[in-house]
Formats: sequence, C-alpha cells, structure tokens
Amino acid sequence: MRCWAIFSIALLLAMDARAQQKSPPEPPGDQTPTPSPIAPPPAVIVAPPARPNGPIQKSLVRITATEVEPDYRAPWNSGGVQRGIGAGFVIDGNRIMTNAHVVSNSRYLTVERDGDPNKYPATVLFVAHDCDLALLKVASTDFFKNMVPLTLGGIPSLETTVSAYGYPLGGERMSVTTGIVSRIDFNLYTHSSIDSHLTVQISAQINPGNSGGPVMQDGKVVGVAFQGYSGDVAQGVAYMIPTPVVRRFLKDVEDGHYDRYVDLGVTPIKLQNPAQRHFLGLKDDDRGVLVGTVIAAGPAANSLQAGDVLLAIDDHPIASDGTVELEGTRVDMPEVVERKFKGDKVKLDIWRDKKPMTVTIELGSVWPYLYLAHGYDVKPRYIVYGGLVFQPLTLDLIDAYQPTDVRIRHYFDYFVLEQIYLEHPEIIILTNILPDPTNTYLSSYRGGIVDEVNGKKIRKLNDLAAAFAEKTDRFVLRLIGDGPPLVLDPKEVESARERIKSRYNVLVDQNLEEQPSKPTPADQTKS
Amino acid sequence: MTALAATKGPETVVKPKELSLVRVNVTGQPYDFVRPWQKKAPFSKRALGAVLSGGRVLVTADLVANQNYVELERAESGDKTAANVVVVDYESNLALLEPADKKFLDGLTPLQLALDTVVGDRLAALQLESTGALVLTEGLVTTIQMTRYPADLGQFLTYRVSISLQYRDNSYTVPLVKNNKLAALLLRFDQRTQVVDAIPAPIIAHFLKDAEKQPYQGFPSAGFGFFPTRDPQLRKFAIDQNGNYVDPLYGKIEFTNLITAKAFAGDTLPVHLQRAGKPMQLDLKLEHRNANDYVIPPYSLDRAPLYCVLGGLIFEELSRQYLREWGANWMKDAPQRMVYKDRFQSELYPDGNRRVVVLTQVLPANTTIGYDDVAYLSVRKVNGREVKSLADLAEAVKHPVDGFITIETEEDPKQIALDAKQVEAEAEALKQNYGLPSLQRLE
Repeated sequence: MRCWAIFSIALLLAMDARAQQKSPPEPPGDQTPTPSPIAPPPAVIVAPPARPNGPIQKSLVRITATEVEPDYRAPWNSGGVQRGIGAGFVIDGNRIMTNAHVVSNSRYLTVERDGDPNKYPATVLFVAHDCDLALLKVASTDFFKNMVPLTLGGIPSLETTVSAYGYPLGGERMSVTTGIVSRIDFNLYTHSSIDSHLTVQISAQINPGNSGGPVMQDGKVVGVAFQGYSGDVAQGVAYMIPTPVVRRFLKDVEDGHYDRYVDLGVTPIKLQNPAQRHFLGLKDDDRGVLVGTVIAAGPAANSLQAGDVLLAIDDHPIASDGTVELEGTRVDMPEVVERKFKGDKVKLDIWRDKKPMTVTIELGSVWPYLYLAHGYDVKPRYIVYGGLVFQPLTLDLIDAYQPTDVRIRHYFDYFVLEQIYLEHPEIIILTNILPDPTNTYLSSYRGGIVDEVNGKKIRKLNDLAAAFAEKTDRFVLRLIGDGPPLVLDPKEVESARERIKSRYNVLVDQNLEEQPSKPTPADQTKS
Repeated sequence: MTALAATKGPETVVKPKELSLVRVNVTGQPYDFVRPWQKKAPFSKRALGAVLSGGRVLVTADLVANQNYVELERAESGDKTAANVVVVDYESNLALLEPADKKFLDGLTPLQLALDTVVGDRLAALQLESTGALVLTEGLVTTIQMTRYPADLGQFLTYRVSISLQYRDNSYTVPLVKNNKLAALLLRFDQRTQVVDAIPAPIIAHFLKDAEKQPYQGFPSAGFGFFPTRDPQLRKFAIDQNGNYVDPLYGKIEFTNLITAKAFAGDTLPVHLQRAGKPMQLDLKLEHRNANDYVIPPYSLDRAPLYCVLGGLIFEELSRQYLREWGANWMKDAPQRMVYKDRFQSELYPDGNRRVVVLTQVLPANTTIGYDDVAYLSVRKVNGREVKSLADLAEAVKHPVDGFITIETEEDPKQIALDAKQVEAEAEALKQNYGLPSLQRLE
C-alpha cells in the first residue's frame, strides 16, 4: 500500500531551490531543424482569453509554516525546527483552504497575499490528516479586504485543461502551470500513508511549493494540488484532491469538529473466478465482492462475516471487480462510504449461505488503522524507566528506527489484519536502552515487546506506567516469545533515575499524553 | 605478529612434500524452489580434498551440496576418477568422498588430525597452482569460539585465522595444517578483513567417528533454548520465583561445545539445574535433530522440493531453502509473513509434527481467472479437511465437495474455489503450456 516515490509537495526551505533547476542538454553538433510533417495552419490564430480563471492573485495565499518535527528516537526532545512554504486559497467565511501537510506540526504560521508587504499570523481552524486538507483563519480582518473567495466546481472531465497556482520552489510571486486531466482514480494519500481516496491526476507541472494551491477550470476550483512523483520516477504525473473530497471535509467540520473518514472495516475481495462464484451459489451476473477479514474494531463487526458476498451498497449494485456506478462513472465501492459521515448508515445487500440478506451498518472509523498512519500534531508517547525506553509501535516509530526485527515488523504489518490490537491495543516496544551500570546486562532485551508485568497484561502504554507505579520489590517483565523475563529492581531503578536523566539529557521521564503541549492562542479552535 | 613468526618459524608448520591432497571437481545443480518442477542450471566448483586413512577424502559439505557428479583429480599427474559421497553432514559442513577406483589414492600418505590447536598457533593454508605446484599461506589463530555454520543450526566450535589468502581455482575447500597434520578446513573467508573461519579438527574428529556408524546420526543438540543469566536482577529472580522458569545453564563455549563436539547422539548428559528455586539433576538423552524434524526445515539439499499444481495454483511446503531463493538478504526480501513463520516456528507450531503448506504462486489459466493476485497464502484446509502436509493436501483434493475443490487460507481471501472437473480436464493443457513435467511431486 505504501508508495515511497510519491512526495508531498510542501517546499522545505532546507532545500536550495535553484540547485534543482537544470538547463536542458545542448543538442549535439550542427543539426539542421527538420520541417514539421504537419504544416502550421495558415489561418489567423485567435488567442484564447489570457486569464480564463480571472485574477487568481486576489484569492491565492502564500503560507509560511514553522514546524517542529518530533524526534521518535529521543522522544523527550522537542524536535527539529524547520520552515516550509505552501499555497492556499480564500474560500467563503474568510477561511483559507490548504493541505494538511503544509501546516502539520506547525508552531507558527504566517500568510501573505499579492501586493501586500505584510505577513499576517494565521492559525489552524481544522485539519484533516486523512485527506490532507486544512482550513486556516487569520485574526486580522484587514487580510481579507479585497480578497475574492473562490468557489468549488465539480470533477473536471478527462482531457480538459486545468491551471495550477502556487509558489513552486518558493519565490514571492504567483506561478501558473497548465495541463490536462489525465486520470481519475482512487489513490493513496501519502500524508497519512494509509488513506486512499479519489484523486485526479493532471499533467500540469506541480512542484514543492504548489501544495495547497488551487487547480482551476472555468473560474472554479476543481482541485487542491497535493502530491506528485520525484522526477526520477515519473514526469508529468501530478495529483490534486478533487472537490468531492474537499466538500466532504467542509461538511464534516460544519459542526465545529472534524470526525475523520468512516470505513466499513472489511477487506473486499474481487469475485471474478467462475468456479468460486458457482461455489458460492452466485449467478453469472458479474455482481458481488467477497468479504475477507472483518475487522473486529470496525463498524461491520457484528453485521458481516468472512465469506459473505456484498451485492449492493445503498442500492448501487457492486460489480465483481469491486466497483459501483456513481453519477454516471464507475468508482471503487468504498467511494459510497467515503461520502458519508460518522453515524451515517449504509445499507448492504448481502449473500450469506446462498441466501440474500440486507444489513444496515452505522458507520464509524476504525481506530487501529491510526497506528499504521503517520501521526501529526501529536507528541511521541514514551516511558523511560531505569534507562529502558518503552514506546508504542506506530508508523512513525518504524520510520525512525527502521527495525529489522522480524517480530516487530510482523506485529506492525498484521496489527489490523490479524487483529493483534484485540490483545494489545498498543504494541509496547523496548526501543532503546540508555546504558547505565544498572542495565548493562539487559541489551539483549532490546526490541522486545512487553506482554505482562508482574502477571498483568500490558495493553497500552498507560498500563505500563501504572504497573511501574506499583509498590513491589521487583518488576518481572514478560516479553512476547519464549525468551527469559526481564527483571527490574525498583530500588536500583530509583537510585539510577537522576543519573540517567542528567547523563542522557532526558528532560521528562515519560509522556503519556497525545496532545501537544503548545500554547493555544485564545482565538484558536483547532480540533 | 612478526615476532611470533620469528620465534616459531614457518618450517615447523608444514613440510610440503609429505602433503596428501587431491583436487575435487564437483558439478552441482540445485533444485529450483520457486519453480519446484525443475533444477537450476548446473555449475562446477573446484576444491582441494584432504586424503584421510581408509582411502577417503574429506571436503566441506557445501562443496557437494546438490551434486550431480564428483570427480577426484591427482594434482601431480592429472589422473581423474569418479567419486561417491559416502557421508555428508550439512550442519557441521563436512563430507567424506570415496574414489570409484580404490587404488586411485595409492601413494598418498593419509593426513592425521591435529587436535591441539590453541589461540596463537600458526596454521598453513594449502592451495594448488594450476600446474599442481603448492601455494602455502600462513596465518595466526586469533580466536576460538562458537559460531554459526552455513546451515544456521546451532553453533559449532570455530577457529578464526588471520591470513591473507589469495584466490585460486580450487579455493572452495582449503585445508589448514599444523605440523603436517590437518588442523582445520576453511569454512568462510572474508576478503576485506582477511579473516578465515575454519572448521576445527575436534569437529572433524567427531564427524569421522560418527561416520563409522551407519546410519549416520549427526551432531547432537540439547533440544532446549538457553539464555545467559548475567543480569544480577534476573539471577535473584530465578532463585526466588515460584514459577516454572528453568534457570539457563551458564557458560559460553564450554556448555554448548560439551554437547556438540564432545558428546554423541545417544549419549546421556547429566545436567544440574534449578527449577522453582530448588536444585535438581536431570539426565538429558542427547539426540540429533534432523532437518526434516522441523515444521519448517532449516535446509533441504540433495532433495527435490515437493509441490502440487492444482489448476494453476502452486502449493509447496514452506522451507528455509525456499525463502533462501530471495538471495543473501532473504530475511529482508522474502515474503515477510513466511520469514516470520520460519523464525518463530517453535512458538507458532508448538506441537510440531507437521508442515506449513503454502500457496506460493499462480500460473494464469482458465481455472485461475481472478486469482492472479494470490500468492504466499498459508493453507488451512482443503475440502474441509485439515492440511498439515502436502500429502494431506493431495489426499484432500481427491474428495471434492459438490464438484468443487475449496481451499481455506489463513490470510485473505480466506477461501478459494476451483471446479474439480475443470481442473482435471485442463490439467494436460496446463502441463503443456507451462512445460511442467509433472503436476506434483509428493515424495
């Protein structure tokens, strides 16, 4: 599912933009230009209107974000500070739409507009990491004077022209590139790296700094530029977030809170094999997908079971390749669910034991997936005890440590599919040992997964913190597997506490809170 | 280093004229575990064998792994004869060869073993030029420790020798001698650090003694895992705690070496241990654990992989040999779920006595339309019958349910169905199309 090649296109200033620009290679020798096989039409060329989308400068916003990247290898540190530049655009209600990745982990935001030398402090109103969108607001009402809010259009047709606006590779002035709509399909959103939604692939050049900028057609926003490939993988392939996704985000936050996408929590499997269809008692009508894993933490846990066949969703027939027809085009079945919200219901016509049935499911999100997604605007959670660093297994942890341990990788890869989260909602790993005379013989335990402490199951990091807080003369940590237990003497740990903290500059012993401790400005209502 | 060389003097190490070495030419042809119906392209290896008493030649086992043909060659005359592999032990990485022509080794003085090598001794590596002239390189034994051998089963005593070995066309098995006696056989050589790991004479002696008995048993293993208990907090725990935790045996070389090098399969080893804080004594009967006794065999050499092709679905029994097809980095590159199963097989299959049958890949055919993405699935049941071996699968396939062969897998899609009649009807076409000599090999 993860596609490393796609990058999110916020421009990080650490990169020297000019160094990226390469001059085209010189043609070899004295080539005489060959005549074009098709003679140019002799007729007078009527120039199209120079600015078909109107004066976009009056809507475009340049965003400068100062971000703090959490350090999962030294989770007690505040992390590295970096600055990035992205684009955004004004929509109704004096709000600025941009990408989540432009403002993620931000500690300070400023916005600028064309023809105004001021930098205006801005705050995040809502952020949706699962669809890479965010809304900003600016306290100063001056900012929106003479600004023109843009309106949203529909999904542009294939081969029609679109224009992308932004600040590619930085720069102070607006840049425009044009291209055509190349493909409309479901794709991975690399910002979270777990969510897939509808995307529109365009051939307009999109580069770091275009992120969050509007993609326009006929004066309307048809998408938000958000990701592309690095040049050595593919060229002329860029992606924008289409307006159904943008509209859904705007609708979700209407109640003042972003609830995230909802999911059925099942793995649908194509039913294209005739023998399998016959075995299940299905007709040769190309309909239905098989249910594989039903995720116990998902909304379908009590309604669906492995081996069920999904025939229709909200009365849209499901084809055997997992697509449904929606508004005249074929889209993947999850698109029906995608457009719904937490608490909405979906009706499924199913086929179970060769009999038709109808079930209605109240939709919600599937929390275990969050551990497989990148986390933003959260502080790394950890416990340092006796120099032993314990952290929950998340995608960010995997990225930071790149573990080669087969067990850790299995617990990550199959956290949801093998429902490991039922026993261990958090996989607590002994990620590191800060060497000290009291733990010098413990290095072989590194990478172990904590199963029990003094006979009590450790299901979450907080359980471990609670276990270590108990009065006892020793802690016996059982790790998953058939290795020996890890034994800690609280007296020894206590005697070493200050020594370890000062030696390794561990500012705080533990952080169990997910929310960042950044000061919240009075006007910020960020969810 | 120079001081040592000066005091000991190279002439004490070896007298070239008395050496008894033969060239060994081997054509090997490994089985292809990804396309289990075929063998890979043959290739040849050249090595030096040490002539031992009884008209036998000692080489490393990896030299003769998957061999089709073994030939001995007298270095001085170029005379050749075919040879048989009498005994091969991939775990200690040793093999004994015997020339077809019994008189072939006449005139060569058998090598005796030097069992007394210690750290600081100098050993000479013997190689031959293409002319048959001796190439002699001397090195220093820097450490003697337990290391893992190529079969990756337990640890064996190993000499580590610092030596600047050069590549010769018969560098595969290189004997190392001390005072004209065989001290070790080259196990692996790191070109960069110029360090040789060598199979030491005590292991060779153990192998030779085992080889006198038929059938060959192999090196014993204790049959339990162990962990050092240096951590004082764990030590306190081990004495106090009222659980079933067995205090692991202490020691490094001494302990495991006692089992592998000093004891033989069938021996009884008295073990003192603490259980539940109380001292007790057990008599451990030592056994050799065959590769086939594992749920997922750690190596499979000289044996064709078992497989079964069912309407284009290919089933195999999971083995580490299969995972090794992903190359040197197989732990990282092979399908991770299968690597996990291999690594933790004793936890995942505590009862043992079974295999893990895997649907490894799909050959597209009419029967497998829509199953193109299916790969690396662990088979639970076929036609409702539990599958714990490929033989189980082959038997279950004979009993379709309502005309369907159903395959239940651990992973998604969890169920696959084939039309039994169609599978049978298209079997011949499938064989023709993909050049399969047979649709199954069950033994």
